[in-house]
Amino acid sequence: APPSGQRGNSFLTLEGREVKVKMAARLLIRSAVRAATTCRAAPVPALTRGMAAGGIPTDEEQATGMERIVMKAMKEGADPYSMMKPKEYAGSKADPHLVPSITNKRIVGCVCEEDNTAVVWFWLHDGEAQRCPSCGSHYKLVAHELPH
Amino acid sequence: MAHQAHAYHMVDPSPWPLTGAIAALLMTSGLAVWFHFHSTTLMILGTILLLLTMFQWWRDVVREGTFQGHHTPPVQKGLRYGMILFITSEVFFFLGFFWAFYHSSLAPTPELGGCWPPTGITTLDPFEVPLLNTAVLLASGVTVTWAHHSIMEGERKQAIQSLALTIALGFYFTFLQAMEYYEAPFTIADGVYGSTFFVATGFHGLHVIIGSMFLAVCLLRQIHFHFTSEHHFGFEAAAWYWHFVDVVWLFLYISIYWWGS
Repeated sequence: APPSGQRGNSFLTLEGREVKVKMAARLLIRSAVRAATTCRAAPVPALTRGMAAGGIPTDEEQATGMERIVMKAMKEGADPYSMMKPKEYAGSKADPHLVPSITNKRIVGCVCEEDNTAVVWFWLHDGEAQRCPSCGSHYKLVAHELPH
Repeated sequence: MAHQAHAYHMVDPSPWPLTGAIAALLMTSGLAVWFHFHSTTLMILGTILLLLTMFQWWRDVVREGTFQGHHTPPVQKGLRYGMILFITSEVFFFLGFFWAFYHSSLAPTPELGGCWPPTGITTLDPFEVPLLNTAVLLASGVTVTWAHHSIMEGERKQAIQSLALTIALGFYFTFLQAMEYYEAPFTIADGVYGSTFFVATGFHGLHVIIGSMFLAVCLLRQIHFHFTSEHHFGFEAAAWYWHFVDVVWLFLYISIYWWGS
C-alpha cells in the first residue's frame, strides 16, 4: 500500500504530486493562451451597472416588452408606433404627403385649409400618389415597418 | 406581443371591475342592513371583497407595467393624468367639509351662543399635539422628496431608508391623532363643532392611512427592484398623494385648529 500522510490521502505520494503539478501546468498554460488571445478592443464599463453603481437599475438594464421597444426606437430617432406628430410635407407632386401604412391602403382625412370643419376622407392605395378630391394635395402611401 | 401599431395598452379581460362593483353593492346594502337589522355580515363580506379586488387589480397593474413592459410613455402619461384627476376629485371632497365648517363657524347661530368656538366647547390647544402633527407631516414631505431624489440618482440604500422614514412619520401622525381623539374633551355628538371637527379630521386621518399604505407598497416594490431611476411612476403617484394629504392637514390646522379655536 502506498505510504499515506497525516491526513491519509493519496496525494502525498510521489505519483500524486506529479499528477497535481502536471494539472496545474496545463491549467496555467490554458489560461495564459486565453489571456493572450482575448480581444481587448471594447472597453468594459467598470462598476456602472445595477448593484455596483448604486443599487437601482436603469431602464437600459431593466425595461422590457413594448416599453423597451419604444425606448430603443426613440434612441435611434425612429417612431414605429406613430407617437409623434406626422411629418409635414408641402403636398405638391414633388413633395407629396408621405403616409405610412402597415397594409397596402390607409384612410386619409384631408383638412384642406386650416380650421376647415369638413374633413375630406378617402382611401389611399399603394402605388402612384393620389390627390385630395377637394384641394388636390398629393398623398403617397409608404410601407411602415413594425418592430415585432 | 406587438401586433399592435400603437404604443397604448389594450388591457386583457379582467374580473376585478366586476368584483369591485359587487363589493360596492354589498358594502352599501350591508350598511343599510346593519342600520336596520343589526347584522354586519353583508357589509364585512363586501369589505373583504373590496380588499381582495384592490389587491389583485393593483397587483395586475404592477405585472403589466413592471414585468411585461406595457407602460410605454403615452401609457404612463395617461396614468399621470389619471392620478392628477383623482387627487383633484379628492380636493373637491375635502372642499365640501371645509365649506361646512366655514358655513357654521363664520356665522354661529344663537343655539351655539352666537360665538365660535360654541359655548361649552373646550378646544384643543393648537400649539400642543396639533403643532407636533404639523411638524411630523411637513418632515415626512421632506423625507419623501429625499426618497424620490435617491431613486432618480440610483441610490438604493438611501431610497429605502428615506421611504421607510416617511412611512414611520406617517404612522407617528396616525398614532398621535388617535391619542388626541381618545383624550379630546368633546365628541362627534357635540353639536356642529363636533361634527365638523371629527368628520373633516377623520376623513383626513383615513387618507393618511391610505397614503401610508400606498407608500408601504412602494417600499416593498423598491426593495424588490421594481423601480428604475427613470421609470417609477407608482412611487411618484404615492408621493403626490402624500403631499396632497400634507396640504389638506395644513388647511385643517389653520382653519379648524388655529382660527377655529
